[in-house]
Amino acid sequence: MDVSQYLDIFIDETKEHLQNLNTHILELEQDGENMDTINEIFRAAHSLKGMAGTMGYKRMQTLTHDMENVFSEVRNGNIKVDSDMIDLLFKCLDALEEYLTTIQETADEGTNDNEPLVKGLNDILESKNAKEEVKEEKKTKKSEKKSKKEANDKAKEKWHEIKLEESVKTVIREAVKDNFKAYGLSVYIQETCLLKAARAFLVFKALEELGEVVVSNPSAQDIEDESFAFDFSVIFLSDKPLDQIIAAIKNVSEIEEAIGGEIEIEIEEEVHEIEETVNEGVPAVANDSANQNAKAQVGQKAAPNTAVADKKNSGKPVVNRTVRVDIEKLDSLMNLVSELIISKNSLVSVAGSVVGSSNIAFNEQIEYLESVTTNLHESVMKVRMVPIENTVNKFPRMIRDLSKKLDKKMELYMTGEDTELDRTVVDEIGDPLMHLLRNSADHGLESAEIRAQRGKPEVGSIFLDAYQDGNNVVIEVRDDGNGIDIDKVKAKAIEKGKITQEMADLMSDKEAIDLLFQPSFSTSETVSDISGRGVGLDVVKSKIEALSGEIEVKTKLGEGSTFIIRLPLTLAIIQALMVVVGNEKYAISLGAIQTIESIKPDDIKKVQGKEVINLRGAVIPLVRLNRILDLEEKEETKRDLIVLIAKKGDRLAGLVVDELIGQMEIVIKPMGKYAGSTKFISGATILGDGEVALILDANALI
Amino acid sequence: MEELALASEITQYIKIRLGDEYFGIDIKFVDNIVRMQHITRVPKSASYIKGVINLRGEVIPVFSLRLKMGLEEIEETKQFRIIILKVEGESVGIIVDEVREVSNVSSDEIEKVFHNNAEGIQNFLSGVGKTENGLISLLDINEILNEKAL
Repeated sequence: MDVSQYLDIFIDETKEHLQNLNTHILELEQDGENMDTINEIFRAAHSLKGMAGTMGYKRMQTLTHDMENVFSEVRNGNIKVDSDMIDLLFKCLDALEEYLTTIQETADEGTNDNEPLVKGLNDILESKNAKEEVKEEKKTKKSEKKSKKEANDKAKEKWHEIKLEESVKTVIREAVKDNFKAYGLSVYIQETCLLKAARAFLVFKALEELGEVVVSNPSAQDIEDESFAFDFSVIFLSDKPLDQIIAAIKNVSEIEEAIGGEIEIEIEEEVHEIEETVNEGVPAVANDSANQNAKAQVGQKAAPNTAVADKKNSGKPVVNRTVRVDIEKLDSLMNLVSELIISKNSLVSVAGSVVGSSNIAFNEQIEYLESVTTNLHESVMKVRMVPIENTVNKFPRMIRDLSKKLDKKMELYMTGEDTELDRTVVDEIGDPLMHLLRNSADHGLESAEIRAQRGKPEVGSIFLDAYQDGNNVVIEVRDDGNGIDIDKVKAKAIEKGKITQEMADLMSDKEAIDLLFQPSFSTSETVSDISGRGVGLDVVKSKIEALSGEIEVKTKLGEGSTFIIRLPLTLAIIQALMVVVGNEKYAISLGAIQTIESIKPDDIKKVQGKEVINLRGAVIPLVRLNRILDLEEKEETKRDLIVLIAKKGDRLAGLVVDELIGQMEIVIKPMGKYAGSTKFISGATILGDGEVALILDANALI
Repeated sequence: MEELALASEITQYIKIRLGDEYFGIDIKFVDNIVRMQHITRVPKSASYIKGVINLRGEVIPVFSLRLKMGLEEIEETKQFRIIILKVEGESVGIIVDEVREVSNVSSDEIEKVFHNNAEGIQNFLSGVGKTENGLISLLDINEILNEKAL
């Protein structure tokens, strides 16, 4: 079968599954007994295996198959999760990612068999056999009546894994009062079955004739989507005997086995019992001493466990009604919206210029059109927006690896993963962020001894916070490490011949920090493969500037540093203030302007030969736009100056313009490589009358 | 007849005028020819870049072929045209004194010229073609748009 047409989908989905695995294995490391996580991992590994098999990638299939086997044993409670295993699993994920990269480049998986990994996985599986025996022994001690066979059966009774929410329990209690019985059922479909979802559906149909399905695991939706292994469990209410129900299920073809049992819900005890079943993966033992033991255990674990359960419920895969759309189609849609806005703008200007056209209805329609185009633009923009989640999700894993590699204890705290940005920006921002995080981990955080001396907690903290701030999205990378040593930076710059000693002495801290963003500048004494390869913060900076963003650093020696990245929400259409300088029209992004002031010429003071104004206590440098734009100086008049107060980070500047036209929604057009190199011009836009106006980048002028 | 066609390929050139000299631009680079319109100046750009224009919703840089080739600028006349060139997906407009006609130049009627390091028009030519209406100098568009030369 020719599967090449599915390659793109395969790559996309494999990426998703790998990300999923990464996240969940990290979770597993924190909480090795969380059944939801384990199930999730098992499912992802299973899907991966299936997909790789379909596409004919044998090596990938073998590796995922062995991983799936390990997860399967973990799920059955036969293997305990330990850190060696997690390490191995992460290595497997890396290997899978490698396969994927090779596939992306060559459509072939390459020839790396990753034998050590496969062997490692098999070793885990073999060691389980030994453990199993030990475990069995324990069980016999606990309850001698239980034979091995029974224990196996119990493991198969997967309905015990189903968590009963309070509402469900109420339903069950009510039903029991009405002489119904609550059954737990586990149904196994033959592994050769091709249409397992259809079989499951028939089972559900059969069940519904006999009673009511209250809960199912996996959820009904997952079963419908075939995202389950070859078994599922339900909690079932019926007034029929168990035998009849089992028989009805087995009536459906390709059902390997169906087992069931009655569930007793006790008003007082059930919480503990269920908690325990979740923890142990085996049913509660009625034995007194064991019960007490279990209770004690549950007492300890109850709190985190319920927390996990809550989290899991909110995080249950919601059925997304989504469509995958080619980004190019969105681009062309965006272009059309831009065209529409331009033509709307020209309608507005025509309406304004036709003398005596005081047609109210016409103006109303224009206004209506204006609001429609604005909304249309917003909707299209939203369609292009994706949460930064997909990009930042790989960071916890990266920090974990760095922590091992650098032998420093550190923890990454992320907030605002759901902050949305334009798709193109999200794709591009990953590398700069990764670089900053590595920087924090490597240069920022001190070694454990120094941290102890300074009275800081042993585990270093790195924070990644994203949030929306007006028309910008701000992403902060913060650490509680050493901060930037300004003197060290200066010394390094002198050593590299970038500045002289005199320059260094005169330099403000801010200017010194700016040195870090110069090409090939690394303060790390040793070159490691984590950071300090010469491609440093300058690359980060240029990347962010290419996205029309900016980066700023705040640091305090001994306390840590913060890198603040500001990115525009949208790249294509902005609200702008139209101004006149000389006899030319310019647009300035409204987001950059704080206030517009009228300044008397007498209020302008000179400080070190530069013009400044004192505005409500703040001294603000003036920028004469006509000089910067190479326009002829107008005659000095006594007229008040129009000054736009622009803000960049915490710096202000006053831009002097000749006239204000007003606010306008403008479409940013690129100017091409021949005319687009002027630094403070970020693009051009087409005005209502068809003329081109340039867009001034206020940030570059400050 | 067939053999002749094989031996010599006919290329079409747009014949333009700068001052009293005629030049040819390979038609495969030409996207459009428009009349002079308002050009928005771009500050701090190279001197021969006159600015940008709006061509059906796209912003396109325009430069003066005269200035680019080291000639004097003259006052704009009604014959002035902007030729929109499209090279490697990038559109650029160049201002010429006049656009005449399309000339067919056979490849065996083209005389190669060699670049020398001296300044001047010579460096922007790919050859000189003979046509029924006399000689035209064929412009090397890639050289004219070459950023290094800008």
